[in-house]
Amino acid sequence: MKAPSPSFFKAMMAIVRKDLAAEFRSRELLSAMLVFSLLVIIIFNFALELDVKVRESVTAGVLWTTFAFAGTLGLNRSMAVEKDRGCMDGLLLAPVDRSAIYFGKAISNLAFMLVVEAIVLPVYSMLYNTNLFQPGLLLVILLGSIGYIAVGTLLAAMSVQTRTRDVMLPILLFPIAIPVLLAAVKASSGFLNGAEFSEILAPLNLLVVYDLIFIAIPLMFFEYVVEE
Amino acid sequence: MFLETIPDTSGYMIAGYAISFITMGIYAASLYIRHNNLKRDLEILEALEEKTKKK
Amino acid sequence: MQTKPTALKILDVVSLILLGISTYLALFFAPTEAVMGDVQRVFYFHIGTAWVGLLGFVIAAVAGIVYLITKDMRWDRFEVAAVEVSTVFFFITIVLGSIWARPAWNTWWTWDPRLTTAAITELIYIAYFMLRQGIEDPEKRARFGAVYTLLGGLSAPLTFMVIRLFRTIHPVVIGNASAAAEGGFSMTPDMRTAFFFALFAFTVIFVDMIWHRLRLGALEEKVEQLKLNTSL
Repeated sequence: MKAPSPSFFKAMMAIVRKDLAAEFRSRELLSAMLVFSLLVIIIFNFALELDVKVRESVTAGVLWTTFAFAGTLGLNRSMAVEKDRGCMDGLLLAPVDRSAIYFGKAISNLAFMLVVEAIVLPVYSMLYNTNLFQPGLLLVILLGSIGYIAVGTLLAAMSVQTRTRDVMLPILLFPIAIPVLLAAVKASSGFLNGAEFSEILAPLNLLVVYDLIFIAIPLMFFEYVVEE
Repeated sequence: MFLETIPDTSGYMIAGYAISFITMGIYAASLYIRHNNLKRDLEILEALEEKTKKK
Repeated sequence: MQTKPTALKILDVVSLILLGISTYLALFFAPTEAVMGDVQRVFYFHIGTAWVGLLGFVIAAVAGIVYLITKDMRWDRFEVAAVEVSTVFFFITIVLGSIWARPAWNTWWTWDPRLTTAAITELIYIAYFMLRQGIEDPEKRARFGAVYTLLGGLSAPLTFMVIRLFRTIHPVVIGNASAAAEGGFSMTPDMRTAFFFALFAFTVIFVDMIWHRLRLGALEEKVEQLKLNTSL
């Protein structure tokens, strides 16, 4: 692979800027993801009877399930918009490296997911009177979101081109994303329950490995997914 | 830990082998049926093509 | 369509004979295992199907990469054949594992890394077929399928590793056969004969089924092409 040229970054940042500006104007994606996340948390509250004792063991699981669901919602929408407005075709016609398009989309998807997480975390802390703002947990959330979005962006680009695109993404994404989600749950609950660092190290390593693999693979194969 | 007599688990064994053979049988049958259906489709399509050529 | 080649006919017969011999070896030739009894005999087919199942998924991922490089539809047909046959065999593996677990571990299912990874892998390949079904263009279908088998092949080992982490704090409830729970019991020479014969027999059956599926794929492609031509 050749070294990325300045135009690579320019193209990538152009896509990110475009997505963020569009979202800043309409706010339809973020508001949908946010409301959805809060609803999921409310449902979990009653479905699992989240009293103090239960909460300790399931907080990490509830958080990651919420993020995963909200994440699919965002991924699906952000790719469907490209497809419907014909932006994707325009992007593909431009003499831009395909991986720049991938990175651009992945970065803006990641930004949306992080914004949602940044709002869900304090709300959850407030509702359940637990402090989720621990540097370790924040690191895990960042790593987990990167891996989830990295593979999710590729799969969303595929799923929006299928006939059953509304239901396809979670079916494709969840079985592939199980390692990153479970490693993230394991590491998060480790930090939340004050486990020994040696115990948290293994899931953290797995998160990093997953992130690296599933950034490298989409980077190599994204062009096969978008070409007409 | 070590039982005096070997437990009788032959029922599970029979169920296991029955399911193995049934599943493989169903798959082989599905291959056969799909193959036949496609053959029929092919014949119809080829006949159709002949007709359009004659016109 | 051309008639069935003679080599395939021979392979069909050989496969059936091997399956018969393997069944005989597993059910009558091999001695009864002392701790678990007769149910241990499903082990031979369990391992046989698991081996060809995994082999097929690896073959599919490789065929996918070769397809993306060469863009030759034959590799796509090969990939589909491998995934489909493997999905069937892997289903048998999981059911047999569950049947074995019931008397050995006193439960139909445990969230043990191997069982869980097998189930998730099976789900990945079911998703694979759903993905393919949703795409009209054969060439695009092949491309997406190739990328997805590759992702699946890479994610499965990671799933295994991550579930092993969970197991260390959630020990599996194991009955009285802890040696069996680890997947190990000492095999006698006769058991070993049945074991290796099952591996061999299922490999041949696997090749036979893939061959049939390839022929079906070629026919499918022909019909699809004709349909496109006549509708134009």
